[in-house]
Amino acid sequence: MPARGVRRGVDSGAARARSVSPETVVRAILIGGALAFVLFALPVLLSTYWIKVLTAVAIFAVVALGLNVLFGRAGLVSLGQIALLAVGGWIAARFLFLTSLPFPVVLLLAGLLTAAVGTLLGLPALRLSGLHLALITLMFAGVVAIVVPTTNFPNGGSGVLGHTESSLGSLAIRRPSIAHSDEAYFRYTVIVAALMFLLALAHVSAKAGRAWSAIRHSEPAALAAGVNITLYKLYAFTLASFMTGVAGGLYAGNVGKLYSYQFSGARTIDSVSLMAVVLMGGIFSLWGAVVAAVLQQLLPALLNDWFAFFRENPDFLFVIFGVGLLQVLVTAPEGLVTQFPRDMRNLGRLIIKPFRRRSGAAKGPP
Amino acid sequence: MFPTDFELYKPFFVTGLALGGVYALSGVGIVVLYRATGVLNLAFGAIGAMGALISWTLINHTSFPDWASYLACIVFGGLVTFAYGVIFGPPLADRDPLVKAAGTLGLTLILLGLMSYLWPPFGRTMLLPTSNYSYHVGFAGVDVTQTQIIGLAFGVLVTFLVGAFLRFTKLGTAMRALADDREITSTLGVPVRRVEAAAWLGSGLIAGAAGLLLSDLVGLDAVNLTFLVISSLAAALIARLRSLVATMVAGLAVGLCTALLTPILFWPNASFPVAKYQYASPFVIAIVALLFLARRRVVTVARTEG
Amino acid sequence: MGFRKVAVALALLGALLATAAIATGASGDSTAAPVGSGKQTKTNSVCGLGTGKKATGAVIKLGAIATKQPGTDFTDIPNMAKAYFDCVNNNGGIFGRRIQYFIETEQTDPGQIAALGKKLAESTKVVGMVGNTSIIECAINHKYWEAKGFYVIASGIAPECYGKTTNYSSVNMGPRYSSDGAVQYVIRKGVNKIVFDQSNVPGTGYIKAGPIAIAKAAKVPIVTFEDTVPIQDANSVALKLVQAAGKNGGVVLNFTPDQALLILQAAQKQGIADDVKAWGCSTPCNSDFVAAALGTVWDGKFGVNAELSLPSKPAPDSKLYRQVAAKAKLAFGLGSFSQMGFVEARVAVAALLNMKPPYTAKRVNQAFVGVTNFHTDILCNPWYFGKIAYHIPNNVDLTVTPNKGKMVIAEKCFKISAADPDIAKVRVIEKANPQLTKGKAYPLQG
Repeated sequence: MPARGVRRGVDSGAARARSVSPETVVRAILIGGALAFVLFALPVLLSTYWIKVLTAVAIFAVVALGLNVLFGRAGLVSLGQIALLAVGGWIAARFLFLTSLPFPVVLLLAGLLTAAVGTLLGLPALRLSGLHLALITLMFAGVVAIVVPTTNFPNGGSGVLGHTESSLGSLAIRRPSIAHSDEAYFRYTVIVAALMFLLALAHVSAKAGRAWSAIRHSEPAALAAGVNITLYKLYAFTLASFMTGVAGGLYAGNVGKLYSYQFSGARTIDSVSLMAVVLMGGIFSLWGAVVAAVLQQLLPALLNDWFAFFRENPDFLFVIFGVGLLQVLVTAPEGLVTQFPRDMRNLGRLIIKPFRRRSGAAKGPP
Repeated sequence: MFPTDFELYKPFFVTGLALGGVYALSGVGIVVLYRATGVLNLAFGAIGAMGALISWTLINHTSFPDWASYLACIVFGGLVTFAYGVIFGPPLADRDPLVKAAGTLGLTLILLGLMSYLWPPFGRTMLLPTSNYSYHVGFAGVDVTQTQIIGLAFGVLVTFLVGAFLRFTKLGTAMRALADDREITSTLGVPVRRVEAAAWLGSGLIAGAAGLLLSDLVGLDAVNLTFLVISSLAAALIARLRSLVATMVAGLAVGLCTALLTPILFWPNASFPVAKYQYASPFVIAIVALLFLARRRVVTVARTEG
Repeated sequence: MGFRKVAVALALLGALLATAAIATGASGDSTAAPVGSGKQTKTNSVCGLGTGKKATGAVIKLGAIATKQPGTDFTDIPNMAKAYFDCVNNNGGIFGRRIQYFIETEQTDPGQIAALGKKLAESTKVVGMVGNTSIIECAINHKYWEAKGFYVIASGIAPECYGKTTNYSSVNMGPRYSSDGAVQYVIRKGVNKIVFDQSNVPGTGYIKAGPIAIAKAAKVPIVTFEDTVPIQDANSVALKLVQAAGKNGGVVLNFTPDQALLILQAAQKQGIADDVKAWGCSTPCNSDFVAAALGTVWDGKFGVNAELSLPSKPAPDSKLYRQVAAKAKLAFGLGSFSQMGFVEARVAVAALLNMKPPYTAKRVNQAFVGVTNFHTDILCNPWYFGKIAYHIPNNVDLTVTPNKGKMVIAEKCFKISAADPDIAKVRVIEKANPQLTKGKAYPLQG
């Protein structure tokens, strides 16, 4: 019987066979505690501005999670995640205007339909090498960047596209009925993000995770072991697209307005910088997605607050991300999530070393 | 109504070839480096853009002679690419081509950030002296500048000269071997570092020259020049990143196709005519071509850890 | 080992940065005598009270939100406003109090813009918003500002900055009405067909409605296009426009200056620039660097709708503007952006000098909305806010044309045509509220 502390952890066949280790229980309790702190303490402690910034962090954590799972587990790179975010946002906005379905249902719909798009995009995954696949997703992003400025986003208008030019006729995309205020929407977003992480964890701990691991290490060996490579590679795309679609829905509800500026050709750099932060955050652990979102959304806000230089030159952040990406690729492929604790441990050892030597000398020769 | 009057399309054959020349030039530059080092240099556009901006500053804000400023662009392209290749080439050399390309995306981020910081966005134009001379194309009723012809010719020149260099010279063959399999090539006694350095330097000079030409042909805009690379990548992908000649032809074809869609302004309907999506053609063509070329199922056997 | 490489890479990067910085040449601030001091008269404009004495009292916090991302940079407007506020602080301030100005930059991310609005109002606790210049800020934040009772003195772009919302008043006209002015110029040139081209960004329907209405009223057929920016194939675009306009037609562009330049130069390079009767452009083209980049070939051939007077105008406000601009941190130097920032700041200061403490958000914004009949030689007509439904105070403009590398006046101040229904509405409002543009001028010093 799984302990209470791991009720959020998902059981797989293997986990049922083993008993749950105390480490997992402790970790789950800590994560639960942190989550509770974020949900209940932060909205009280922080101003509305920082809550809104953290809402954006939560939304992008889901997007980064998709890429994290795709690259970290299945070894596939997609440069079209921001384009899928646009697709998810569009679908969610359209349903929110067209129907009076509850918000969670719309999120699910957006996720599923975006997953369908992503699966179609992933079909070439079966036949192309990593580089060619990444480039095809880049081509897809290019198409979306051209189409979106023409179709625009739904804003309460009629017709298939649901977009009206008249500013008098444009409406805001509605938020969930239980989460109207910024603080409430923040909690809502964090909970949905946590659910997405659980979804990812469920896959990683289960058969899918093992299959992906096998594919990543050696495709011929995985094939020989009877793993359906086609299916699992495609499924990675489906999962990542589903998450990005849900994130798109959250993004639409965040401000209630979506514009094509975010997704036009001039902002292609965002897809590149997303890839950079996901890699910097670390792809060997799901937490890397949280670090990635912090880098992409929280760091700019902090730097903006602390340094006039960044307020005046916000684009300089790209330089930092570029350097960070190169650093990660060359020296620390595991990313910050694994690298940082390792660095801290090394630092700790460095600090303790002189004390150890001294106490060793005081003890005298053995 | 789908316009079938040939007169409407005539002038766009010329602008299409001009655009195609732009795509071909970029595409060939990228494939050249890929053939010589196995790295898909996605920073190709950004390098050229920064070089062009430096040239612009030297021309408009200093008393440097113009020819020296143009040379500065080409030299800058060579230096930056060379520096990147020498520093980040070897550590990433054993990695998946995707990782190597990702590294160049890091360089793109750095350069784009620097360009935004150093050159605030307002209208800058680079007018090369060759743009003052043009030839009238009677068939189309428009003029073609000398720069456009040079751009096209440069693309053709690079294609054939570099293609011949790679195939027939010792250094070129060494580069191709290196791109194919670095480990085995090094055991054959080829001076790996030096050959690689030469490849990076050469392609960097091409990037610089292309950047200078493109800044006149397309406009001196950092973001536009940087991401032009994606459209020209389409041409490179159609050629499967292998053949320089195919890249060039594909670039021209894609450019022609894009421009020829311009007159289709009311079909299938007035709000969403084909013309509005004309700039998606490179991407659509590339996707279709890639899917068609990848018909046969392949199990990828990666030699190295990604 | 890897670490050393990164260090080398960073060192190289530093060297690159240094050389590029040298190449671009950083400009140093000039330490000159107190600017803007003296007596405010009909022939001499000063900063605020003009006392020449530094203000040391309590702060009055003002804020601004401006777009800054690769390819778009509006920060010159608030930066110039800041320079004016600094000048005012050096000249006695607001009866001894200092203005503290907080500029937030955004990258057209709706979530970010909404958050920044809240930050300024609730965390930084500004009492007024002056100098907002953003592609979408009006659309995103107007309800919030309304709820807070804020009346924003802005430079508008989105339609919400002009109508539907009652709490924004802009010193500029925005793309639609400026395009109207360009269309009027082209019609006066005697064209028999108009082609209107703009960038394909949200709001194209709203923008083209103006030119369409004006062309219809003048009984000139009009065709409209939208083009994706950044433009990759300017040749095809220019060709398409010239083909559609025909020999006696006119082409009107509504783009950012760099994109408009691409189209114009493509037309020139292809030898088709003279194949139409007239070329027009909305206000973004109004700057000397456009004139210089185009070269003398275009002198007199191309009319730009100017929302503000020439920066070189020999008039008191313009002179003060030039003096203050010399001390400001501007990316684009003298031009319409900094002019707008100057006017917005000057209006805000006049409003503050015309009210009594306490300087709470409610009272400051009531002062802002109370500004009427504000005279400045930088604008053709007096500027106003007022509690009215439509705010397009800048609806009388000029046309400028390039001449030997600079912009010169081609047509003096003329009214934007009331064939545009929005302008018609505004004219009705102005007629019904004569205090907006007539009568006693708004006092500049309280």
